[in-house]
Amino acid sequence: MAMSMTMQRRAVKGVGNIWLLIMVLWTAIPFYWMVATSLKYDREIYGFDATLFPQQPTLANYATIFYDTPYLLFLRNSIIVAVGSTLLSMIIACLGAYAIARLKFPGRALLARGLVFTYLVPTSLLFIPMFAMMSALHLTDTLHGLTIAYLGFDVPFCTWLLMGYFYSIPVELEEAGLVDGCNRVGVLLRIVLPLALPALVVVTFFSFTHAWNEFLYAHVFTSSDRVRTITTGLANFVTEDVFFWGPLMASTVVSALPPVLMFLLLQRWVVQGLTLGGVKG
Amino acid sequence: MVTSAPTSIRLPSPPSVDVREKRFANFLLRDATLGYLFLAPALLVIVGLVAYPFANAIVMTFQEKTAGAPGRFIGLANYRELLANEAFLRTVFNTAVYTGFGVGLKFFFGLSMALVLNQERRWNNLFRSFLLIPWAIPTVISALNWRWIYDDASGLINNVLVRLNLVEETISWLSDPNLAMISVIVVVIWQGTPFFTMSFLAGLQAIPKELYEAAEIDGASVVQQFRYITLPRLQPIFITAIMLSAILTSASIQFVYILTNGGPADRTQIFPTLAYNLALGGAQRLGMGATVSLFFFPLLVVLIIFLTRRMLRERED
Repeated sequence: MAMSMTMQRRAVKGVGNIWLLIMVLWTAIPFYWMVATSLKYDREIYGFDATLFPQQPTLANYATIFYDTPYLLFLRNSIIVAVGSTLLSMIIACLGAYAIARLKFPGRALLARGLVFTYLVPTSLLFIPMFAMMSALHLTDTLHGLTIAYLGFDVPFCTWLLMGYFYSIPVELEEAGLVDGCNRVGVLLRIVLPLALPALVVVTFFSFTHAWNEFLYAHVFTSSDRVRTITTGLANFVTEDVFFWGPLMASTVVSALPPVLMFLLLQRWVVQGLTLGGVKG
Repeated sequence: MVTSAPTSIRLPSPPSVDVREKRFANFLLRDATLGYLFLAPALLVIVGLVAYPFANAIVMTFQEKTAGAPGRFIGLANYRELLANEAFLRTVFNTAVYTGFGVGLKFFFGLSMALVLNQERRWNNLFRSFLLIPWAIPTVISALNWRWIYDDASGLINNVLVRLNLVEETISWLSDPNLAMISVIVVVIWQGTPFFTMSFLAGLQAIPKELYEAAEIDGASVVQQFRYITLPRLQPIFITAIMLSAILTSASIQFVYILTNGGPADRTQIFPTLAYNLALGGAQRLGMGATVSLFFFPLLVVLIIFLTRRMLRERED
């Protein structure tokens, strides 16, 4: 027997709310455990007296990572690499995207296709020859080497995203600029880029977080703490069998904050950009 | 007012320096020149950091090569050795299971989450933001966090199980051969679901409300509406998201590397970790590692070409 529409709606709503509750818990519990562990003393973390809720909350683990481990150094390295690769890829991508979107020259359709193709090639296919190449060029174990390596993903991806936005800017605006005596470079700087500001924000978000989150290249191309970024630095804490979960969880909390805050702040634009390009699925 | 055209006729003279400079400037500002000039840095990056290493990887599969030394051509020996190797065959199987279940379950959870978040509800924006956070967290961080959740002695799961007297001995989630793969896939789902949620939610919001209203007047049930309106409308997004996720899931090394590093007894070994372990974990067999990475590249190429086409077409619409 068919239910009435109102009953169906109510049923769907009820099931939806229950499922939402389950999904919220499923998402929240790992976060809770991470934060809770970071606020506990060791006696509450291990053994028979381990607790589910911190009884005596402490910031001792946070003090440990900043004073007794190279964590601050990892943080600095991550910032340098992320800012460097973001700036470089931004400049290169703006120029390239504008050329493909607006300038007429033979081969540009092919290049557009090549860009998508390039950023879809996973780094796990490239890291071995890249390692050989970086070693030969003496770029391993340097921050600038890592910064350059990240361009291999950032540039095609950002160019692809920006291209889409540049297409959406009315070409008449640029023609007006050209008539008024601006040249192409002037048009790009004074008309297109200001209009594409939301796109530039999204592109900044993606290349920054990419560098911040990247693991494989960072892990393969570095071998000393001096140049390790957060991801490889923390992974190394574990593989070296130095199991100190309190400080480790404190450092994961701190490391997750910048990308999460950026995401929450820019969410609307990021989701839009993601549906255009798609990363990290 | 109309001014008369100048009547004086100048004799052609050799171009002055000034004119030549201007011509050069014009040449520089022509679309084609400027186009190639603007694209040069991007092209350099693509060739140097993707195309060249990629070509190099293909060459390496025919070589015996260690880091720092030039490779020695050995024909198809790497391929032959892999096909005879049981660990490799297990890796093929594992990667298929890992990718298939990983992507399939992410799809299921992502779609259900998107449908729920598309309902009208107070605080919905807040729920949406919160449910998407795992996507923004660095993958390594999630992996480390879950490794601690799974911990044999003091992890959250065992802690709770023991407290509730559900088990007599703690469970080794990551080192039990029968549980390791499932445990790793759970983490993949936790991290990867939001990507599907975001994609599908955008698709759901683009479906005109009138369609549902019309269907309701015609007496279509909620299930029928889902079957005949929602699913067909989302189908293009389904395909793009699944292909993208299949490429990224099968190629990402972090979860397995940090949670189990391929163990126990290769039960969770997938292509990226096997390639890494062969090329950089001790023996330094770069050629062998490259061969593992590229073994299923033909399959990947088909996926990538298909996806490239779709994405370009979607862009044009």
